[in-house]
Amino acid sequence: MTTPAPATRRALTEGQRSERRLGLWLCAPAALIMVLVTGWPIVYSVLLSLQRYDLRFPDDRAWVGLSNYAVVLTNEFWWSAFWVTLVITVISVSIELVLGMLLALAMYRAIVGRGLVRTVVLIPYGIVTVAAAYGWKYAWTPGTGWLAAMLPEGTAPLTDRVSAIAIIILAEVWKTTPFMALLLMAGMAVVPEELLRAASMDGATRWQGFAHVLLPLMKPAILVALLFRTLDAFRIFDNIYVLTNGSQNTASVSITAYHNLIGGLNLGIGNTMSVLILISVAIIAVVFIVGFGTAAPGSGR
Amino acid sequence: MMERPDRKRVTSWVVINTVVVLYAMIPVLWIASLSFKDPSTFTDGSFIPRKWTLDNYAGIFENDDFVRGLVNSIGIGLISTFVAIVFGTMAAYAIARLTFPGKRLLIGVSLLIAMFPQISLVSPLFQIERALGLFNTWPGLILPYITFALPLTIYTLSAFFREIPWELEKAAKMDGATPFQAFWQVIVPLAAPGMVTTAILAFIFCWNDFLFAISLTSSNAARTAPATISFFTGSTQFEDPTGSISAAAVVITIPIVIFVLFFQRRIVAGLTSGAVKG
Amino acid sequence: MRRATTRGRRAAALLLGAVALLPAACGSGGDEGVPLVNLYNAPQENLEAIVARCNDLAAGRYRILLNTLPRDADGQREQLVRRLAAADPGLDVLGLDVTWTAELAEAGWIREWTGDHAAQAREGTLAKPLETAVWQGKLYAAPYNTNVQLLWYRSDLVPSPPRTWNEMMAVAAELAARGKPHYGEVTGAQYEGLVVWFNSLVASAGGQILNTGGTQVALGPPALKALDVMRAYATSKAADPSLPNTQEDAARLAMEGGRAAFEVNWPFVYASMAANKPDMLPVFKWAPYPGIDGAGASPLGGGNFAVSTYSEHPEESFQAALCLRDPASQLTAAVKDGLPPTIESVYKDPAMAEPYPMRDAILDALKTAAPRPKTPTYQNVSTMISAALSPPAEIDSPVTLAELREQISAALQSKGVLP
Repeated sequence: MTTPAPATRRALTEGQRSERRLGLWLCAPAALIMVLVTGWPIVYSVLLSLQRYDLRFPDDRAWVGLSNYAVVLTNEFWWSAFWVTLVITVISVSIELVLGMLLALAMYRAIVGRGLVRTVVLIPYGIVTVAAAYGWKYAWTPGTGWLAAMLPEGTAPLTDRVSAIAIIILAEVWKTTPFMALLLMAGMAVVPEELLRAASMDGATRWQGFAHVLLPLMKPAILVALLFRTLDAFRIFDNIYVLTNGSQNTASVSITAYHNLIGGLNLGIGNTMSVLILISVAIIAVVFIVGFGTAAPGSGR
Repeated sequence: MMERPDRKRVTSWVVINTVVVLYAMIPVLWIASLSFKDPSTFTDGSFIPRKWTLDNYAGIFENDDFVRGLVNSIGIGLISTFVAIVFGTMAAYAIARLTFPGKRLLIGVSLLIAMFPQISLVSPLFQIERALGLFNTWPGLILPYITFALPLTIYTLSAFFREIPWELEKAAKMDGATPFQAFWQVIVPLAAPGMVTTAILAFIFCWNDFLFAISLTSSNAARTAPATISFFTGSTQFEDPTGSISAAAVVITIPIVIFVLFFQRRIVAGLTSGAVKG
Repeated sequence: MRRATTRGRRAAALLLGAVALLPAACGSGGDEGVPLVNLYNAPQENLEAIVARCNDLAAGRYRILLNTLPRDADGQREQLVRRLAAADPGLDVLGLDVTWTAELAEAGWIREWTGDHAAQAREGTLAKPLETAVWQGKLYAAPYNTNVQLLWYRSDLVPSPPRTWNEMMAVAAELAARGKPHYGEVTGAQYEGLVVWFNSLVASAGGQILNTGGTQVALGPPALKALDVMRAYATSKAADPSLPNTQEDAARLAMEGGRAAFEVNWPFVYASMAANKPDMLPVFKWAPYPGIDGAGASPLGGGNFAVSTYSEHPEESFQAALCLRDPASQLTAAVKDGLPPTIESVYKDPAMAEPYPMRDAILDALKTAAPRPKTPTYQNVSTMISAALSPPAEIDSPVTLAELREQISAALQSKGVLP
């Protein structure tokens, strides 16, 4: 960082003191909003998760301790949603990593039409997820869709669990691969060109240059991209909402929580699920940061 | 660059580029094609419309809910972006330029929020906003949007700010400029491109949101366009709103296409800078 | 660099300008003086005509504005409930599915019908549909349309209609042996239709899913019998291989396509047969819903009109709701949109004869029809039942029953989880 190194610990000059003050003041509004809009709701969410609070029985509100957690954690719908979410996350992030790497190479190395390639890949990234999801939905609807038209007569892929999840993954991969590719491309940009050239002079093939020089140097960027996308995939909502709305056991944890909260008006159960999702996300982040040594962006190097 | 591109390599790159363009464009062209199809030909399954019409577009602009949804989307998106940029700029400046306690904490908190599962916020906010009277209002959506746009703006902007040659400011002051003049005439022009980029990214985020929009609104008073689309109904029991949904999907995609066409370099720079330099 | 900067400034100025303009764009319209009654209802083709007639009759006392809800029942309920939860005054008259009364009444979101309004809503209304609008002894809605399932059969294949599910299986086996179409279509997919089937079987066996107050699980021996029948049927010759995916429309299509010899379904299948397969219509007959030992209790469906607690024009809303479900309105809905009336006298109208040759069968079925359980958590109860019973061929009666009892009672204590 380009900040001036602190001269001495004990004696803060007047200038340093006023710099501290200014720094705190400048950060205060942003920090305040972020903490107010997330901090208090999280606490409140935990409180609601400890109550029987169902808008359909407003008179029966009561503290019930951890019983909502017992209900959710022994419920088959919850676990189905959990595994579906996990499957979607693992498969889509894996595909995205491979596709994203290819796309990043194409964007980074292109000798013709580089601007064109970089422009078109931003369209899936920027398009409203719901708009794209409707496109996929209609494409796979028998009678309407051009993709469904290629399938044998009478197949309705969105009404079968396995094929519906495959389509959800397809929609998710299409939309988010460009983001993955951009993050990976940023990682490629920091690898010095000379290293690759040196490798190729030593007789390394293109593949060897990629696998033994580029990939290891890109590892921090890859891990950051994986972390971002894994956490993002875990909260998948929009695509499933439009494509199946969770029917045929294709609900993700976010969809299930939404159904219990907004559809079922059961604030206790809905908030219990919210807290559990938060805990899951925290576990994933910790696994990445501690297990893989992912440098959290912003942690400074 | 280093080697002269020979014919074979150019050809293979043309092929690769074509694949990438098809990958990105086919789903978009399909929804556009649906939006131009005459309702009698929805069920032909053809990728290209056999009978063209603009009726689907005429229909959605006669639909008050959709027009209100667009107004809500634009208004809520712009206000959220504006506030996030103002506060984000202040914080990012401090992070890039100043030494103060709690800097790490702020970076950590915003990282946490960037990764936060939105649904975990929707559940308590649904109840809190109902109690505060914020449910189904513009501020009810603007607040969470600012919150989720802030980490993005802080990251991207602080990366941009670190690149600015701040010595120029000192030089201007030595040449007799007041601190304000130095800031306004030297620093702002240098910082503006980064801020525009960041504003676009933040706006795309707000424009894209769906979960908050359907959970924290109940009518067209605050419902944004993506949520409005998902509530389209056909005019009769037997008619699917396929045409209207497709046309509306195309309409809300247009701003994105415009941003991408005009600001491609900046968006790429913005998305990659935060990730690497962070 | 230079160009980009000016562009940046211009964009920032544009942004500011747009922000300044926005509040001006918000505002609400409405006719001065005439109270606006917002009606929210499921899509119905000719409802606009019914609304227009009531607006004419109101002569300026109120004006009804029709707002259409999504097509699927869950989507309709979700939209209504979310707005009611937010105390939205923009809702006045609500078109409710018969199974939602308890939930909305208990949450305090719909108004009780009293005095004159209640008397008018009750007058001449059939008992079973009226009962669906009552919760804890109070009237919360005015019945608009009703519905019952009947047994539909092809008289060229099945000369005399079976009266019980066992007879249906026997007829199917006999048809199958002769190499004839032998499927008997029933809604076996994992959705509300499966609950409807189960509920009717339990009622036919003389039982109930919940006790009368809706506070406790009833089930018991009649439920065991019902489960045995469902399993037997799903594994018999009568079962279409696609039974675990069959909803009302698939059942109708199987019949029209000639795959099935009979089906249990709502009366809309008659108009559809007349339109799609007129040559099959002369042999397309109806009979009472099959039972277990004797006569069956037909599933009961339909819709009612309620008035929102947060309506700012309650008096006008009650009047509008009454007009929307008066005999003339119900006749339009019945003849043009295929929705059976809830007012008995409408069935005697001459215009009913042609589209409803089965109207006496409907009236008969309505006397014994089985309403679905009344509870504020119907959504959860129904989800549990359809999950536990799907696919019907894998029902293991005692085990399934124990599972049902446990899950339904959890749902009644707000411990139900929706998928």
